Order: sequence, then C-alpha cells, then structure tokens
Amino acid sequence: MANWGEVGQITVKLIQTPDDIRDMARGAVFLGAGGGGDPQIGELFLHNQLTHGRTPNVVTADALDDDAFVISIAGIGAPTVLVEYLVSETHLLDLLKKAEAFFGKTIDALISAEIGGANSMFPLALSALTGLPVVDADGMGRAFPHLEMTTFSVYGAKATPAIVTDELGNIVTLDVLTDRLAEETLRPVVGALGAMVFSAIYPMSGKFVKDHAVHGSVSQSLAIGRCIRQGREASEDVFATLLEYLNRPVDDRHAILLFDGKVIDVSHETRDGWHWGKVTLKPLDNGPDEFEIEIQNEYIIARKNGQPAALVPELITVLDRETAEPLTGEMLRYGLRVKVLGYSSAPIMRRPECLEVWGPKAFGLDMEFKPIVA
Amino acid sequence: MTGPATKPFELARLRLGIDVGGTNTDAVLMEGARVVGAVKRGTSNDIAQGVIEAVSALLAETKINPSQVARVMIGTTQFVNAFLQRRNLAITAALRISLPKSDGVPPMVCWPDDLIEKTGHHTFMTGGGAFYSGKDYRSFDEEAVAQAAHQLRDEGVQSLAISSVFAPIRPDLEERAEAIVASIAPDIAVTKSADLGGIGLVDRENAAIINASLVPFARGVVASMQGALASMGFGIKPLYSQNDGTLISGERVQAYPILTCAAGPTNSIRGAGFLTGAQDAIVLDIGGTTTDIGFLSKGFPRETSSANFIGGVRTNFRMPDVLSIAMGGGSRVTGEIGSLAIGPESVGLHLATQALVFGGSTTTATDVAVASGMVRLGDPSLVRSLRADTVQSAIQLMREKVEIAIDQMRSSAKPVDVILVGGGSILIGDELRGAARLLRPEHAGVANAVGAAIAQVSGRIDKLYDYEKGGREDALDRAKKDAIAKAVSAGAVEETVEIIDIEELPMTHMQTSAVQVRVNAVGELG
Repeated sequence: MANWGEVGQITVKLIQTPDDIRDMARGAVFLGAGGGGDPQIGELFLHNQLTHGRTPNVVTADALDDDAFVISIAGIGAPTVLVEYLVSETHLLDLLKKAEAFFGKTIDALISAEIGGANSMFPLALSALTGLPVVDADGMGRAFPHLEMTTFSVYGAKATPAIVTDELGNIVTLDVLTDRLAEETLRPVVGALGAMVFSAIYPMSGKFVKDHAVHGSVSQSLAIGRCIRQGREASEDVFATLLEYLNRPVDDRHAILLFDGKVIDVSHETRDGWHWGKVTLKPLDNGPDEFEIEIQNEYIIARKNGQPAALVPELITVLDRETAEPLTGEMLRYGLRVKVLGYSSAPIMRRPECLEVWGPKAFGLDMEFKPIVA
Repeated sequence: MTGPATKPFELARLRLGIDVGGTNTDAVLMEGARVVGAVKRGTSNDIAQGVIEAVSALLAETKINPSQVARVMIGTTQFVNAFLQRRNLAITAALRISLPKSDGVPPMVCWPDDLIEKTGHHTFMTGGGAFYSGKDYRSFDEEAVAQAAHQLRDEGVQSLAISSVFAPIRPDLEERAEAIVASIAPDIAVTKSADLGGIGLVDRENAAIINASLVPFARGVVASMQGALASMGFGIKPLYSQNDGTLISGERVQAYPILTCAAGPTNSIRGAGFLTGAQDAIVLDIGGTTTDIGFLSKGFPRETSSANFIGGVRTNFRMPDVLSIAMGGGSRVTGEIGSLAIGPESVGLHLATQALVFGGSTTTATDVAVASGMVRLGDPSLVRSLRADTVQSAIQLMREKVEIAIDQMRSSAKPVDVILVGGGSILIGDELRGAARLLRPEHAGVANAVGAAIAQVSGRIDKLYDYEKGGREDALDRAKKDAIAKAVSAGAVEETVEIIDIEELPMTHMQTSAVQVRVNAVGELG
C-alpha cells in the first residue's frame, strides 16, 4: 500500500539528474498512448546538457506575462531518420534566432505541442541550453498524429505562421488557413529536406497559453515516470502504486486496469504516411477473453470481447507486466506480457468542441465518446 | 528469429568444440551427433594454458590425435567479460562523420564513468554524412579527419571507432576516413560502424566503440589460441562462435570481438537443445553464481527485441533473450526460517574450498542440496548440523525462484520442456511448476562446448531499399541473394543455406517507399 504522503508530494518541478530525465521520458511514453515516437534521442540531448551543468527551467503558465511570446519547438519527420540524424544543438539555437527574425519578436518561453513521446524532450533540452523558460503544459496531454489536434488549434492558435529549418541553412516559412493543410503542405517539404526538420510552430501569447493549454503536462509526465521507477525500486506492486497515483482525487481523471495478459498478434501497416495497426491480447491462462487495440499512430480504441473499453481521446497505455515500463506501438511483439491501462484525458480535451476534432468519429469510428469512469 | 526446419545432422567428421568461460574451460569431441568425449578444466589467467590442458586431457581420454580432427570451434565470453569488468581495454577514440547534424548528442553521451576512465574520452565530429536517400548532405571534410588523426596519434590512442550518418547505405564515408587515418596513424586499429550494426546511429556507434576498445586484447587472445592449438599439433585454424551461434574466423574475431559477446548463452541454449533433441524448450543454465534462463524456439535462442545494454552501454545487437537471476551452486544461504535468503552473494569459483561439504565454513546452496539428499557431493556428514526445516525451506525457495523465472520467460501457459544444464542443476529436484518434462541430458555440463561444435555459418543483410525503384519482390530477391552469398563466403555449403529470417521495416510518417530490410541466411559448415 503506497504511502499517500509520498505519492501525493512527489516533487516534480525540477529535472536535475539522470534519473529525472529517465523519469520524464518514461512518463512521456506513457502519455504517448502508443505513439509519439521513442524519446531516446531527445533524452540523450537533454542528458548532454546535464553533463555540462545545464538543466531546464520549467515554469507554470501563470508565471508568464499575458503578452509574452510563446512558441512550440517540434521535430517533424520520420522517426527512422531521427535515429540517424540525431539532433543538432547549433541547428536549434539557429532555429530560435530565425524564428525571432521571422515573427519579429523575442521568444519569451517555449512550450511542447505534444507531451507524449519524442517531442516532449526537445523544448526541455533547448530550455537547458538557452535558459529560456519552458512551460509546464502542452497542447494535448498525450500524443496525436495531426497538427490540428491541439487545444492551441481548437481555440484559435493555428500551427502557422511557422518556420521550418534544417541543419544546412534551409528555411521554409508557411502560413496556411488550416492546420491539416499545413501538415499536408509540409509533408513533401520535409521529404525534400531529408525527412526530418525542426519547426517553430503555434505562435501564442502568454494569455492564450494560460487560457487554453493543457496544464501540468511536464510535471505529470515526470511524476508518472518517477512513480513507476520508485514503485519498482520499492518492490511494491508497482501497478497498484501507479493506479493509486493516477486516481488521486485532485482532478477529474481516472485510471483503470483494462486488461492483463499477453500479445498474441500484432499487425502493422504504413498507409498515407501513418502507422496503422492492430494488437490482439489474451489472458495469461489462455482463458476465453479477447482484447484488441486499434492503432492509428496512437492507440485509438480498446475493445474487450468486442465491446469498446476505452476510446480516444482517453489514453490507452500498454505497460510491461513485470516492470510497468510503458511501451510504444512499435515495441509490441508476440509473446510480450503486458497490462493495459486506461487513463482519462485531461478534462479540457473532452469538451464538445475538442471532441469534434479528436473524438472517435474523427478517427473513423462510428460511435459516441464515452469517458473512462472510476 | 527461427531456425531451419528440423534436419538430421549429416556431417560425420570429428569436431572439437571448446568453451572458454570465466571460470571453466570445457572441451568436447563430437562425431556427427555423437559426443565422443568431454572434459572440464579451470580457466587460467593465461587463457591459452587452460585450453591446452582441457584439449590435451580430452585427446588423451579419447585416444584421438589432432590430425583426425576436421574442425575446431571456440566459444568464449572473454571479450564481453573484459568489457563488463573494465579490464584489458584499449585507449579508444570515436570519430563521427556527421556535421552539421547530430552535435547535440556527441559520441559517448551516457557512457558510465568507470568505462570512460579506462578508454579515455577522445571524441571527434567532422563534416559529412548522408540523407536516408544515400545522397550527401555535406561534402566529406578530409582536413578535419586528418587533424583528428594527428591528434589521436599524439594522444596515444590505440583503437578508433568510425561512424557516420546512414553508414549502412553509405559505407564509403567510413572507408574514406579509415584510409586517411591509416596514412597518418597506421598503428591505430580501426572499427567501422557499418561493419557492425544496422540503422540507429547511437547504438551502432556504441557497438563500434565497444568493439574498438576490445580489438588490441582480441588480437592477443586469438593469436595465443592459435598458438596453443598449433603447439598441440593441430594443423587447422579454429573458428569462433558469434552472437547468433554461427561461426566466424579468428581474423574476423580479431577485427570484431564484439561479435562474440553473446556467444556463451547462445551456445548453452543451442547445445542444450541439441543434446536433448528438443527444438522448443526453456533452458536453465545454473552456474556457480547465477542462473541464466533462455528460450529455445525452433532450434535457436529467442532474441530480445528491446535495446540491449552491454556493460551499461546501449547497442542494437540482437542478443539472446536471457533472464539472469542471482542463484547458483555457490550462493550463500543466510537467515532463519521466515527470512531465508539464497544469494545474491556467492562463493563463486571458491566453492570447492568454502562450501561446508568441502570442509569450508560457508553454507551454500550446494550444501543445502546435499543435506536434503538430492545429491551426493563432498562429505555429507559435514552438513548434518543443518536444521531439517531450514534445508526444506531453502530447497523450496530455490525452486520458487526458478519457477517464477520460467513463468516470465515462457510465451504461453502451456507447460514447456525444461532443459537443465550447468553444474548447479543439482539444486533442482524432479518437478518444476510449468515444466512438461525436466530434461537432464548427458554432457549437460559441457552444453556450451557442444553448442560451439554443432554451429552453422551465417550471412546477414541489413540495408535500406527503395521499393518504388524496382518493386518489393526485386528488392527482397536481391537481399536474399546477398545474404546467401555472404553465408557461402563464410564457409557454408551452398546447397544447405536457407533463409531463416526476413524483416521489413517501412518508414512511417513519410509517403516514401524506403524500407529497411534484414535477411539472415544460415548453412552447414563445409
């Protein structure tokens, strides 16, 4: 049984040690709901900053001036090339300079557009490198495949005008009417530039971020990652500890165990540049229950014996059964023994105008959204 | 990864398999599928001496002389142990051809401090590199590589790892750098990352640096093994086991010692399967200090698909999926009923002097096994003082530890055959939950050496192909042909070569037809 005092008081504001970085990345994979990419490269980037004595400056949104200029820094491209190109410090410093020239103003703070997965780490590392504050917030509290799927976009801050650069000095700027169009415009551009670029997108004011971001994403990611590690080190029932933490009564979010078993089938397909797939699980004792997760980059719907058990935007997470280490979709293979958790999305994500953009129907599922309940 | 379809072992020539472990050196002579003789000796500090002792004893026992032996195979964990124990490591440098990309993650970020203390921290990044398409994104900076080479020479670097972005599809960049270094600092050994790993710069570069740190040591060890065998009258040169259980030449080991790092567990699992005829089973290798649990699937060890860490450094080698628990014959038994513990401390190779049954004063797992009557070793009267309930509890505890580990490793709830190898198999009784049959093959103690002796030869391809250019079938065809050719050039008999694994990894997030293809071909050694 976890000690409430310890769990509730996990100090999360600072990322100062290698363990902190690992915890943050672990939490980012958890919140990535199967997608978002492997944070490994960003982790190493942040770790390198740490070895030079530099750590990120994480601030809550209320620390921002209303008229502060806040921008998101994100990698756009194929994870299979990110693991070769890695990331360039010189490039990202230059991107910030070019962004300031493009937007005609000084950048006051950075924010992650997507806390789930690889893109959580780059704003943190850049904050360490430059001293710029990075806001404890993001645009979705998870990962999603499309640019219009952020609260930024839903409430009026489009991804563009935006600037995209590579390490060679190429600069592409764009300003288009919709974020979906921005993404489609960018795809051939990114391909031409070698399949990976970095971008300064979603230009916003401090006030806008305060009003419309998903708050607490960085600290939550860190806390979840830390909760798993500490639960493991204490040799407790790490899942009980994790569920207790996620279910603590500070917000309208609930976590439940959706399934406990092993992977018996995984199918992957790349269509239109996105990762589609299906994972099938069965109980360890080979009982009759069947559990299935559909993937569209992220885990979109989980079904138990044919009935929907969790639906986008609620987070579906697959974790290693022994260690509770969160697993991305690419990591799933036959025989893996896992537990699947369902976790409420941030309350802002479940508002009607948001569900229009990323509810089940937006992913081709003909059903109404149902939240995860306690 | 799957093995070839069940095949009768056809080749009847005499093969000598030698396993040089951390504690013991085992030697086994096989004629076809038959074990003609087996011997176990201690590994000496001078590895060659232990080999000579074991092999000489085996030849004497079987009355076979070296000229009758057709093939000699050696499996050894010497190199991985050296890396894990931070000894015999060279002053190593890493050169990465990548700028202007990648400078946010320099070479050796996240390497453990004690390693860097031994290898030094000599890292360089120079201009050049390729896009995923294979085109240069920046021209190769020769001057920078030359400058680095001068610096390496001045700093007394012994071994260099060269990596570059997308090297698997542009190996020429690393080759160019190697040529420049050779012209300026010819005494420095060079490892090129493209020769070792697939896509994933950090993991591939790490593999190259680990390898480079072991090359000078490997040159010495292979030469001394060669010398030891020659001194006994062997006219042939030995082959060495690599990670997937197949064989490579001594020259290749001298250049790529890291290829042997998982050979120990692989040979143990394969050897266990061979000795029992089982193709699918859990293999329990209970040693002096640890128990390694592996999974045999269709004749080959199941490989782990997650990232691997060797001595705290992340690499992308496909390694056998082995679960290690701290329990072995020499594990100390401590505590009272209710708080009993087996290990993790162990008397290790001092078992023969420190265990109670051998006149020592430490209660070990072996003593408990003798006290319970499971096995007769040493002087059983020396453990009569152990309380019966403590002994029973300890036996139960050991059994449970193993049962939990088995449950973790198996892939279904169906009971699975369990093969016991290793000297510590005396610790386990006749029943294990989850086990269909408990198999204790003859010669279980030298399963590693058997695994080396039965090994096949492989050829592997890991490259990016553009499916749009010629179609998927054509690309796969080319990849398969290349893999088969590689196996043949390594010594495989062409008619026996089979493709045992094909993997295609499409690029996500882009509408391109670039696919990463991996093909593994395996054949019988001629």
